[in-house]
Amino acid sequence: MFNSGYMKKTVLMTLMIIFTGAMNVFAEENISAEELVKKASLSAYYGGNDGRTMARMKIVDANGREQLRQFTILRKDIEEGGEQRFLVVFSRPADVSGTVFMVHKKVTGDDDRWLYLPALDLVKRISAGDKRTSFVGAHYFYEDVSGRATTEDTHQIVGQDEKFYILEHKPKSAESVEFASYKTWIDKSNHLPMKIEYYDNNGKAYRLIEALKVEMVQNIPTVMDAKVTNLVDNSYTLMAFRKMQYDIGVPEDVFTERALRNPPAQWLKGQ
Amino acid sequence: MSTRLIDFSLTRPVLVYWLLAIMTFGVGALIMNIKVDTDPENMLSADEPARVFHNQVKENFLLSDIIVVGAVAKNDASIFNQASLTDLKILSDYVLSIDGVKTSDVNSLSTIDNIEQAGEGTIRFEWMMNTAPESQSEATAIGKKAERLPFVVNSLVSGDEKAATIYVPIIDKNESYRISNQISEKVKSLSNANQYYITGLPVAEDTFGVQMFVQMGISAPAAALVIYLLMLYFFKSAKLVVAPMIVAMATVITIMGAMIGMGHTVHIMSSMIPIFLMPIAVVDSVHIMSEFADLYKPGKCPKATIKEVTSHLYQPMLFTSITSSAGFFSLALTPIPPVQVFGIFVGMGMLLAFILTIIFIPAYISRMSEEQLHNMQRKLFSNGHSNSTIAKILPFWGKFSLKNAKLIILAAFSVAVISIMGLYKIQINDNPIRWFKSDHDIRVADRVLNDHFAGTYDAHLVFSFKGQSDLFNVWKADIESALQVSDISEENKTQIRAFFIKDNIVTPAQSFTLMLDDMAFEDESGATGYDDLLAITDVYAAKNKVFTQPAKLAYIEKLQEYLLTTGLVGKSNSVVDLIKTVNRELRSGDSADYVIPETANGVSQTLLQFQSSHRPQDLWHFVTPSYDQTLIWLQLTSGDNQDMAEVVELVDKYLADNPVAGDIEVNWAGKAYLNLIWQDKMVSGMFDSLTSSFVIVFLMMAFLFRSVIFGLLAMLPLTITILFMYGMIGWIGKYYDMPIAVLSALTLGLSVDFAIHFIERTRAIYAETGDWKETINHMFKEPARAITRNALVIALGFTPLLLAPLVPYITVGAFLATIMAVSALVTIVLLPASMHVLKGFIFKDDAAK
Repeated sequence: MFNSGYMKKTVLMTLMIIFTGAMNVFAEENISAEELVKKASLSAYYGGNDGRTMARMKIVDANGREQLRQFTILRKDIEEGGEQRFLVVFSRPADVSGTVFMVHKKVTGDDDRWLYLPALDLVKRISAGDKRTSFVGAHYFYEDVSGRATTEDTHQIVGQDEKFYILEHKPKSAESVEFASYKTWIDKSNHLPMKIEYYDNNGKAYRLIEALKVEMVQNIPTVMDAKVTNLVDNSYTLMAFRKMQYDIGVPEDVFTERALRNPPAQWLKGQ
Repeated sequence: MSTRLIDFSLTRPVLVYWLLAIMTFGVGALIMNIKVDTDPENMLSADEPARVFHNQVKENFLLSDIIVVGAVAKNDASIFNQASLTDLKILSDYVLSIDGVKTSDVNSLSTIDNIEQAGEGTIRFEWMMNTAPESQSEATAIGKKAERLPFVVNSLVSGDEKAATIYVPIIDKNESYRISNQISEKVKSLSNANQYYITGLPVAEDTFGVQMFVQMGISAPAAALVIYLLMLYFFKSAKLVVAPMIVAMATVITIMGAMIGMGHTVHIMSSMIPIFLMPIAVVDSVHIMSEFADLYKPGKCPKATIKEVTSHLYQPMLFTSITSSAGFFSLALTPIPPVQVFGIFVGMGMLLAFILTIIFIPAYISRMSEEQLHNMQRKLFSNGHSNSTIAKILPFWGKFSLKNAKLIILAAFSVAVISIMGLYKIQINDNPIRWFKSDHDIRVADRVLNDHFAGTYDAHLVFSFKGQSDLFNVWKADIESALQVSDISEENKTQIRAFFIKDNIVTPAQSFTLMLDDMAFEDESGATGYDDLLAITDVYAAKNKVFTQPAKLAYIEKLQEYLLTTGLVGKSNSVVDLIKTVNRELRSGDSADYVIPETANGVSQTLLQFQSSHRPQDLWHFVTPSYDQTLIWLQLTSGDNQDMAEVVELVDKYLADNPVAGDIEVNWAGKAYLNLIWQDKMVSGMFDSLTSSFVIVFLMMAFLFRSVIFGLLAMLPLTITILFMYGMIGWIGKYYDMPIAVLSALTLGLSVDFAIHFIERTRAIYAETGDWKETINHMFKEPARAITRNALVIALGFTPLLLAPLVPYITVGAFLATIMAVSALVTIVLLPASMHVLKGFIFKDDAAK
């Protein structure tokens, strides 16, 4: 007598063997850590030439209390793998609606960042420097949203399995970051970083970023749900993307200081 | 009853020994389960509303117990010098690596964020001190930044800039001893730039726990030794006085075993049980041995003598044991759990000691050899007279009190009047930090840090919005009327209405908005009704976020300004200070912009920026994420309950004069406030306990003596003693604190003993002789001797508490010793004087019999 659980497992195992066997054909032999990191960065931050998505963030504290943030992100790549523009426009909660955050991401040198607060009627540049500050109270850092420059860390492949390359990264300038090292699990099939774990000076993991759901959007593998967990107190932030669209043709002049006060409605609202 | 017990003791001595051994070691073994509790919070019962609220506030605002590490730059230098800051950075980094520290909440110059202007139209968020300064100018620059942040000044850096602190929040306060030791160790490896001080409630509590054991380990055995030597001096027979020591040890061990076995923790109060029971447990034996020594003559049968003595003393010993234990049992009426436990177990200990005395002492004495007893006799009496000093002095005393009876009564009356005047001068005050001696490290740290900073004592004034359900109902009704005219499909309307039926919606506006957003997104009918519902919900959500409303924040700002004018509050911190700081830096950096934004949205957007720092979670220590509860954190430089009480009173008055608008409740939390609450309970509880035990003891006396007038007489010495003691506290200005409060009920139970013995024996002798003069002559021989010996045993038995490392123990020791001495003195002077004056009246009935 076979029980159904056993049957399922056997079938699954068989499928996995066939599947991974097929995968191995495409697996890159002798790929370097630097190349992998670049590919991962491209997959995670440079899908299409531009893009728009609605995002909803649920921030849950150690007591289980929730805060919500809802915003639209517009992105334009000036150069694939290079300079980028981001515009983040908040819609909820209602009392921060219209708050705008803009980034001109550079390859070398510091990014330019701006802020617009409608209730104070205030446009402010945010000084270059530390990007590992919280993104509006979430467990995400600004750097997680726009991407950490691959040149800031040294990279090393420390392992792999059927599905993932496992990389370890160490900061070149230790005092500029709060971590001692981090590891990334990069999906072999699409190069999306599926899991990033941060370690403190004692080698203890304290922070975890996970991609929970990946979907094909216009044939581009795209993370739709992600989660950051503070492993010390188990508080976390869930990020869900919706109405994701690539290559909408947004012009560069949408990402100017002038546009902060009058966010480009036509590009923010999807059809 | 009495004869049967004594017979049992005399006929089956070996069985008595076995029973005693089995009980002592059987119950005593439970002591192995000892659990120490040093949390002053436990002075309040777990369901005490003030304590429940305090813990709720701790949870709502994610507050931890904190170890405070203070660093004062040496040579009177500014703390903003390269070496001092480098050490501080190293120490702070080390603290972050210690297991058990809540790292995200560690506050020091190197873990906090700075927000500032960085040139025209630019704002900067950065760590205040990410790396140690590499030059003096960098160190000075850090000082310049720090002094602009209201949260830092006088909290993390002293106003005189000579000291800085590291606030170390810990996850489990039972780990504070280990963590503070680790910090102390690390300090040794630093350069010699700063002097360090470690304090904070968890450290104080842990240290207290350690010293409590020292007290039990040193004072209690020392008391045993003092009592043993004293009895040896009285009775000159080492073998004989071992008997009461066995009774005392068996009582202490059995009672502690029973208490711990029943799951009670050893708290500051119950740690005093051994030293209380030790002298109390021997008093009955002292009476027996005293009279035995007097009556036993060589050639007499010791068994017969001990039987005569014991049955003779049975009644007064029973009376005193019952009344004394009633005094302790009355502590069960106080609303303070540790005091209840203390009272109940000491009370039971007294009854146990009585029973053990009755069954063990006769058994023991009956088994002593004739030779040993003869030896004792020879040493005690030469020429048939007692040798002791006490024996020589007492008869004079008796004559003196009779001769000057009226003068003595007048003197007692005057003492009573003066004491009552003193009662009105009593100042009620306590401060757990003062439980340590003045030269203790914790006291030193406390003084230094409160001298430099705005205060290390915390109280929280909590504002809670209570109108949620009213707002909810209005919103629900508004949504319903909007739905009536909406173009949304019936199916979706049903789903929307279903939302309001769900229970326990924690953040209804947020979830409702999400649901509507999703619905609008999926809806392909082109219905526009969602926008109306969302608009209504936005209004509702804004109304719930009470503490983003500028008017409410302005009220808090005003109250904080007022607090500073009281002179009792060194500094107060609230979300308002946070908002104003961020607003200032967002706008211009000028102090003119250190204001609350004009709209609630402005406040929310300012706070959104605060949350874009390295430490967004700091916001939730001041306001809840739903913005319906907020607090002002008060820093007080004094932990005196008196000062906290005055702050509470002033704030109450302010709130009455400037009522807070809207449906908002204002309540207190914080350690300093909790201390005040349990002090209030202690004072009123002790008063209740004292009055009720006074009444109970009086009724018992009147019943036992079958005479109201003798009942009143029996209460006389202790009344004078208590009045005298508390009057004295008033006159000399000592604070009425926890140990003093507890003493009142103890005094009553203990000092009534002397009066009972004196009256009971007087009446018995008078009944025999029928002559007052002769009665008094007789009284000032053996009976007065026994009373005096007992007074000395108890008074001196408590003196080892003076060696204790903690102040409450010393207070208890000093006061109890004095009380016992005074009440014995009053008994043997005032009682005969009073009876002399009243003799025609009180002995009329007896004589007639």
